[in-house]
Amino acid sequence: MIRGVIIGALLLLFGGLRLPIESSLTEQHRSAYFHQARLGLDLREQIGQLGFLAALSGFRSLVADVVFIQAHVAWERTEWGRVLLLFRQATTLQPRSVLFWDMAAWHMAWNASVAALHDEALPNDLVRRKAQREYIDLGKDFLERGIKNNPDRPQLYESLARLYKEKLQNHAAAATCYARAAALPGAAEYDNRFAAYELSFAPGHEREAYEALRRLYDLGEHERLPTLLTRLKFLEEKLGIPLYERIPDKEK
Amino acid sequence: MAELQHRSFSLGRIAALTGNTFTELVRLKVFYFLLIFALLLIGNSLFMARLSFQQEFQVLKDVSLGAMSIFTSLLAIVATAQLLPRDLEDRTIYTILAKPVPRYEYLIGKLAGVLLLLGLSILAMSALFLALLFVREQMLMSETLRETAGLRPEQVQAAIRSLEESAFNANLLPGIVIIYLKAALLAALTLFISTFASSNIFTIVVMVFIYFIGHLQATAREYWLQEHGGGWLAKTFLALVALAFPDLQLFNLVDDIVAGTAIPPGLFAQTAVLGCVYTSVYLFFAWVSFHGKAL
Amino acid sequence: MTEPAVTVQNLTKVFPIPFRRTKLVAVRGLNLEVAPGQVYGLLGPNGSGKSTTLKIILGLVTASAGTTKIFGRDSREVGSREAVGFLPENPYFYKYLTGAETLRFYGKLCGLRGKKLQARTDELLALVSLEEASDRRLGGYSKGMLQRIGLAQALIQEPKLVVLDEPTAGVDPAGSREIRDLILDLKRRGITVLLSSHLLAQVQEICDRVGILANGVLVREGRVEDLLAIENQTELILENATPEVLGQISALLDQTKTRLVEQRRPQTTLEGLFLEATKTSPAPRDS
Repeated sequence: MIRGVIIGALLLLFGGLRLPIESSLTEQHRSAYFHQARLGLDLREQIGQLGFLAALSGFRSLVADVVFIQAHVAWERTEWGRVLLLFRQATTLQPRSVLFWDMAAWHMAWNASVAALHDEALPNDLVRRKAQREYIDLGKDFLERGIKNNPDRPQLYESLARLYKEKLQNHAAAATCYARAAALPGAAEYDNRFAAYELSFAPGHEREAYEALRRLYDLGEHERLPTLLTRLKFLEEKLGIPLYERIPDKEK
Repeated sequence: MAELQHRSFSLGRIAALTGNTFTELVRLKVFYFLLIFALLLIGNSLFMARLSFQQEFQVLKDVSLGAMSIFTSLLAIVATAQLLPRDLEDRTIYTILAKPVPRYEYLIGKLAGVLLLLGLSILAMSALFLALLFVREQMLMSETLRETAGLRPEQVQAAIRSLEESAFNANLLPGIVIIYLKAALLAALTLFISTFASSNIFTIVVMVFIYFIGHLQATAREYWLQEHGGGWLAKTFLALVALAFPDLQLFNLVDDIVAGTAIPPGLFAQTAVLGCVYTSVYLFFAWVSFHGKAL
Repeated sequence: MTEPAVTVQNLTKVFPIPFRRTKLVAVRGLNLEVAPGQVYGLLGPNGSGKSTTLKIILGLVTASAGTTKIFGRDSREVGSREAVGFLPENPYFYKYLTGAETLRFYGKLCGLRGKKLQARTDELLALVSLEEASDRRLGGYSKGMLQRIGLAQALIQEPKLVVLDEPTAGVDPAGSREIRDLILDLKRRGITVLLSSHLLAQVQEICDRVGILANGVLVREGRVEDLLAIENQTELILENATPEVLGQISALLDQTKTRLVEQRRPQTTLEGLFLEATKTSPAPRDS
């Protein structure tokens, strides 16, 4: 009896001692991007009691994979509403998987949007275009939320840049995204180049774009790729750069 | 013989107890059942997803590490829970403790035997897992090289880099160490519970309960400390959960490591030390409960 | 003055009964001493406190009051167990170990190593006649064999004191005879033996001294002969006595007013009879 009381007291004492340590360690884990998932009650309703329990007790990633595979199957059956729902669950369960966000955005902005544009069930073109635009926005939304959860990694910035470029023709925004990606560790070496290319297509940013392209050009032979040369020449013309400042004409 | 000064701590005695506990556990049917199940799962993870290679590797890693985690946790609980009751039932504990063996050495030996078993199991599983990862990577590598033949060298480089990044990731190793430490913590806690439990079923049920609550401990702790209002009853309940249960969520790092999150060495060291502290403290509690127990 | 092998002073053990207000008193104010080299029998019915007393002496259970010592060292000290070997009642041991492995395991617990351990293991296997079974798992041992390997285990570190809890319980008469022979052998080698039993007949011939416990209290204590002898009676056993001789004896008894309590033909004990029978046709044993 006395021993039970002593053990209980020791247990609580140990709890008290480790309380500040664990709080600070949890904080440190979070700032290193661990334990980012916020599993709410709405998720429990969606993935079921068992899946929720598994997710809470150390098998979050595994449950996320299962949901992801379900999403993949739904995509094969072109059930777009289900694809959206399942990807939302998968990304909630594992917000640190760049792959999930990227795939979710791609399915929405590229696949679902195109399917909507050709959807015979929709009454007219106007509605189809509206639906297409909605899916593109959903894709964009996935990428933006993905970036919020993974601000330390370049991949989703690159994907968002592609989306702005290909789906929304917003070259200025695409350029900003490429530039952000380029600043992060592990970025592809073409990110800086792509940022400059996109800027060169953005009306009103010609001067900026010219300077960026010229800087790259000056870095040396390895940056002087055909597209870069073409865009640089185009801007030299457009901005009326003095001849002696222009890059040499190889072909002519 | 009796003239010899009795040593109050002997690694030789602990080694004998450890070896014996290990031999005892290796004979458990549940050990093989769980091990085969885990190995099958790891082996099968290769065929689970027929998607992109990034996805394939993610599933392979999640399934394998999930199998390792569930195997080590379950084995830690189930194996440890029956050690003391069995020795008591068979009266072997009398013959051991009637020798010049301090009770703490007996407990250390028992725990060390479990930890040895868990360590060797996780090594075996890791070996299979890493071998699979390597083989699959090599297969995909030659495929990629074939597909990218004719492309510019930097594009080939990029393709290979992306493949390598999604296959083996050095952060997996600290992640596996943390899985092991979580199991060690659970084993020590099970040993502690079993010093006063009435049966091994009781111990296992209590431990399963602790396992689930332990994963919610951090949430309870945060609610308690954040002054969210609520009545004193709710507050007391949250405080009890936070103080009495271990924070198991801190030892779940592989999920995010598989997703590509890197663990800084300092953070890994701190988490590992916390795991060791938990294990030692629970072992100490087991001794407090056991040292004066009438057998 | 020689140090007693075992000293028990004012020993009391009370077990609280959980969730009840009552308590169970297992041993009450027990005092006893075992001299070195003696075979001491602690006798009494089941539940009389024999096992509890032995466990307290071995440090397996803590006393509520009083002290127990082994060769002057308090039982609560782990070191006191250097000098003692223990065989519990109906021991099981680890089924998956062979006889030799079992002895090696216990030897290691006592700090024995290498060649010394091997030599000691071989020696003890020979002592308890289990050399042939030494590489068999204990799972296949008979009760008697288990009891003998248990005894060997108790002797592994050459203790000066051996404690045996019901050493003959559940063993067939031949096996129990072997164990009694082993105990006498220990005595010859100067090892003190403390044993408990509820079978008085089995231990009377090997014990130098016995204590009888009933409900946790020591009711009788002393040398076996003294306890068994009825002081005002004498037993005569005659061979080839003719009726005349018997008549003269009874006349003499009448003359001196001596009362004849009983006249009978002596019998061998049932146990003796059984032993006799099994000796002539050796029954398959220990297999």
